[in-house]
Amino acid sequence: MGRSQIGEFEELVLLTVGVLYDDAYAVAIAKELEKQSGRSIAVSAVHKSLYRLEEKGMLDSRLGDPQAKRGGKRKRLFTISPYGKKAMEESFDLRSRLRNQIPDLALRFNS
Amino acid sequence: MNRPPGIPKWPFAFFAFYCKKDRFEEMHGDLEEYFHERVETVGRNRARLFYLRDVLRCCQPYAWKTPHFFKNSSIYMFRNYIKTSLRSMVRNPTSSFINVFGLAVAVAVSIVVYSMLEFTYRVDDFHEHRESVYLATYSADRDGVSTRFGMTPAPLGLHLLEDHPQVRSVCRIGTHPAVVKFEDHVFHERAHFVDPSYLEMLSFPLASGVPAELSDVNSVILSDEMAIKYFGYENPLGKELTLKFGEERKKPFLVTGVAAPFPKAHAISFDFLINFENLTFADPTFSTTDWSAFIAGTLIQLDAGTDIGQVQAAMPQYLPAFREAQHPRKIHGLEFEQLATLRRNSAEIVGDISLRISDEIIVGLPIMGLFMLALACLNYINMAIGSATKRLKEIGLRKVIGADRRRVVAQFMIEHILVAFLAAVLGLLLCATLFLPWFSGIAGSPLAVQWFSPQLWLFLIGLATMVGFVSGLYPALYVSKFQVVKIMKGTLRFGKNNPMMKAFLCFQMILAFVFITMAVMFYQNSEFQANRPWGYNQHGALYAQVGDRSGFEKLSAAMSKDPHVQVIAGSSHHLGSSVASTEVQWADHSNESQVMAVDRDYFATMGIEVVAGESFQGQSQKNQVMVNQLFVKTMSINQPIGSMLRMDSSQYQIVGVVKDLHAFNFYYEMRPMIFRRANQNDYQYLTMRVQEGTESETYDHLRAQWIELFPDTPFQGGQQVDLWTKFYSDLENMKRFTRTVAMVAILLAALGLYGLVSLNVTGRIKEFSIRKVLGAGWQNLSASISNRYVAISLVACVIGAPAAYLLNLGLLRLMFAYPLSHGHWVSLLPFSSSL
Repeated sequence: MGRSQIGEFEELVLLTVGVLYDDAYAVAIAKELEKQSGRSIAVSAVHKSLYRLEEKGMLDSRLGDPQAKRGGKRKRLFTISPYGKKAMEESFDLRSRLRNQIPDLALRFNS
Repeated sequence: MNRPPGIPKWPFAFFAFYCKKDRFEEMHGDLEEYFHERVETVGRNRARLFYLRDVLRCCQPYAWKTPHFFKNSSIYMFRNYIKTSLRSMVRNPTSSFINVFGLAVAVAVSIVVYSMLEFTYRVDDFHEHRESVYLATYSADRDGVSTRFGMTPAPLGLHLLEDHPQVRSVCRIGTHPAVVKFEDHVFHERAHFVDPSYLEMLSFPLASGVPAELSDVNSVILSDEMAIKYFGYENPLGKELTLKFGEERKKPFLVTGVAAPFPKAHAISFDFLINFENLTFADPTFSTTDWSAFIAGTLIQLDAGTDIGQVQAAMPQYLPAFREAQHPRKIHGLEFEQLATLRRNSAEIVGDISLRISDEIIVGLPIMGLFMLALACLNYINMAIGSATKRLKEIGLRKVIGADRRRVVAQFMIEHILVAFLAAVLGLLLCATLFLPWFSGIAGSPLAVQWFSPQLWLFLIGLATMVGFVSGLYPALYVSKFQVVKIMKGTLRFGKNNPMMKAFLCFQMILAFVFITMAVMFYQNSEFQANRPWGYNQHGALYAQVGDRSGFEKLSAAMSKDPHVQVIAGSSHHLGSSVASTEVQWADHSNESQVMAVDRDYFATMGIEVVAGESFQGQSQKNQVMVNQLFVKTMSINQPIGSMLRMDSSQYQIVGVVKDLHAFNFYYEMRPMIFRRANQNDYQYLTMRVQEGTESETYDHLRAQWIELFPDTPFQGGQQVDLWTKFYSDLENMKRFTRTVAMVAILLAALGLYGLVSLNVTGRIKEFSIRKVLGAGWQNLSASISNRYVAISLVACVIGAPAAYLLNLGLLRLMFAYPLSHGHWVSLLPFSSSL
C-alpha cells in the first residue's frame, strides 16, 4: 500500500466529514471546523481540500436536494470512503504510535 | 446561470467566468448560503464585500474551467508532431545538424545585417529636439555640379536670431585645432566653439556640472572620453586645462562640466566644448560679421509647432551679401536640414557635422544577407526532401490511420518551423558571440545585440517563421503527395526527375558561384589595391608636423646633421594628411582642384616624378605652379608649360607637370592637382627623404629631436608608408571577410549537393547493386551518379558566372575609385561534380 499523502488541514477536513455524517458539505464543514478549532476558516480552503480528497479517492460524494437558502441550488454531500477510512486510521495510528514512544522523561518539565 | 437576486453583479460575472460548469452549482450554492446568512448578521453592504472576497478566494485552479485549447484533441496531435520531429532530428544527427547549422549561419548573417542597418538608422535619434532643430546649409556649384554644403557663413546665425521671431535659439559651431595641456599630458585636439544653447538643442546630458557654465568664456566642458584621457579617474571639475591655438595664443580654461558617455549610436559629438566667443581669440583673422568666413555649422531651434517654411522663405535676403563675399563661386541658395533627417541625408551634404552613411552598408549588406538566406533555404529544402525518404513509412501510416493531406502538410510545416526556430536561437547565439564582435571590428561601429529591443525579437520571430515557411512549404507539399498504396507496396520511385529540385539546386549553385566569384574578385582586388602605386615614392619618406616656420627651422637644422637624411623640404600641406581644394580657371575652363603649398624640394622628398618642365626655380617667383597630368587633361591645356592660371584672384604660371598621384587612399579618385609655392611663414610640415633601409632609425632620431626641441608639443609625424595603415588593414579585413563568406557559401552548397546525391543514391540503391554485380567499377558508378548533376552545374555556370561577375563588379565600383578590371575569365567551372 502506497503512502497516502495527506496534509494537516486535509486531515481535519476528512475528520470533520466523518463527524458531520450525512450533512457534510463545504459550508457546514467550514462552520464546524471554526467552532471546534476556533480558527477562522475560508470556504475556499475547504473546497480545495474536499476536491483533492475526492480526487485521491478518500471521499465519495453525491448531490443533495435543492434548498431555498442556497438560491435553489443543490449541495455536494461528502462521505468517507473505505480508502479514506484507512488513510485516516493509518494517520491516527502513526500519531499515537509516535506519541507512545515518547519517554516520560522527555515530557517532564518541572524538575 | 442567471444571477440570483441580491448577489453583486460584477463578482458574480467573474465567478461565472472562471468557474467550471460542473462545480458551479455546488460552489455558488455555498457562496450564496454564506451571503444570505451574512445579510442577516452583518448587513447587506458588508455581505456584498464578503461575497467579493469569497469569489476572489475561490479563484483557484481547482475551480477553473479547463481552457478549450487543452481539451481539444488536436493539442495531442501537435504534441505528437513535435515529438516525432525531435525524435527524427535526434535519429539523424548529421543531417539535422547540417540543416540547423546552415540556417543558423544564414540567420546570424541576417542579424548582423539587421543590427548594422538598425544601428545606422538609430544614430543620433537620442536628441530630444531633433524635430525642431535644423542645420543651416547652402548649395553652390562644385566642379560644375550643384552641391549642398554643411558649413555656414559666420554671420548667418546671428541674423537668423534677430530677424525671425519664430527662431527660438541659434547655436553656432566652430572648430579649431588646439594643443591641450594638463600637467604633463599634451595632445593635439580639436576644440568645439559653440554658443551656450548647444547643450539645450542637442541632448548630451552632463555627468557633472551644469550646461549654463558654457556661457562663461573661461570654462570648458569635456567629453567623457577626454575626461578619462586627461584626468584618469580623478574628478576633473575645477581643474585647469591650457588650450594653445597656433604657436603663441594660449589660454587657461576651467573644467566646469563633463558629459556623460555618448550613446553608442552617435554621429555628432565633441571633445572640448568652449564658448563661441573664444573663436576670435583662437583665430584673430576670424570675424563673426565676415560673410566669406565659414564656421563648421549653424543650428537653429524653432518654437514647437512652427514650420521651417517661413524661415526658409526669408533666406534669399541674405544671398546678396553671401554671393558678393564668395565671388566667383556660384551660390544657389541657403536651406535647412532637420536634425532628424540630417544623418540620412548626410551623404549629400558636404562637410556637415554628421557622418555619411556608406553605400556598401545600405546596398551591399542586405543583398548579401538575402543571398545567404536564399542559399540556406534552398539547401534546407533539398535536405528536407532527402531526409523524408527515411520517413516514408511514417507518412504512409499516418495516412492509413486517417490523416488527410492537410494534416501531413501541417505536420511537416510544424517540423520545419521548429527547425527554423532552433536555427534562429542558434543563429542569435552565433551572432552574439562570434559574428557581431568580429564584424564590428571590421566595420568600426560598436555593434552589439540589442537584447531588449522588441524590434529585434519581432525581426527574429518573423525571420524564423518566414524561413521555416519558405523552406518548409515545398518539401511538405511534396512528401504529403505520395499515395499510401505506393508507399506501402514499396513501388514509389522517389526523388527521380523532380524538376523543382533540379531548379533549386541550379539556383543554389548560381548563388554559390556569386559568392565564390566575390571572394576571388575581392581577394584579387585587395591584392591589386595593396600593390597599387601611390603615384610617388612613399618608401624612404618621413614627415613631421612642425606647426610654424620657427619649428621648421629648428627641426630642419637639427635633422640636416643626420647623415641618412638626403633632402629636407617644408610645406603647408602634406600628401595624405592635409590637402586644400580651390577653384581654378584657365582660359574659359574652370575646375575645382586639390591645391598644395610646398617648397621646391618637396618633389624630391616625396619622390614625385616630374614629367615635363622643371621644379620651382629661384626664390622670388611666387607665382610658379606645378600641375599634375590629370589637371592638364581635365582643363584640356595643349601647351601646359608657361600657361597662366587664375586661382584665388591671382595669376599663376605653370612651370612643370608631375605624374598623377593619390593624395588620399584608394577609396578616392585622383583629382586634378596644383602645387604652388609655400610661403615660408606658413610651413606646417617638414618632409625628408632618407636612405632606403634607414627609415625607422631616422624616424627614432626625428622623434627624439622633436621631444628635445619642443617638450610642450606632442610629436606628430611618421613614415609616409604608415599613413594608410588603417586603409590596408581594412583591405585585409575585407579580404578575410569575403573569404569567410565564400567558404560558408561553398559549405552550404556542398551540403546541399551532398543531400541531393545521397537521396538519389538511396532511391537507386537496387540499380547500383545490380550494376555492381554485373561488374561495374567505381568509375562507372560515380559517373552514373554524377552525370545528371553535370548538366545542372553547366547551366548554373552559364547563368551564374556572368551574373556573379557583373554583380560583384558593381559592388567593387561602389567602394573603390579604381577597382581592378578583371578579365572575363572569372568562370569557375572546375568543381561542379566534386561530390
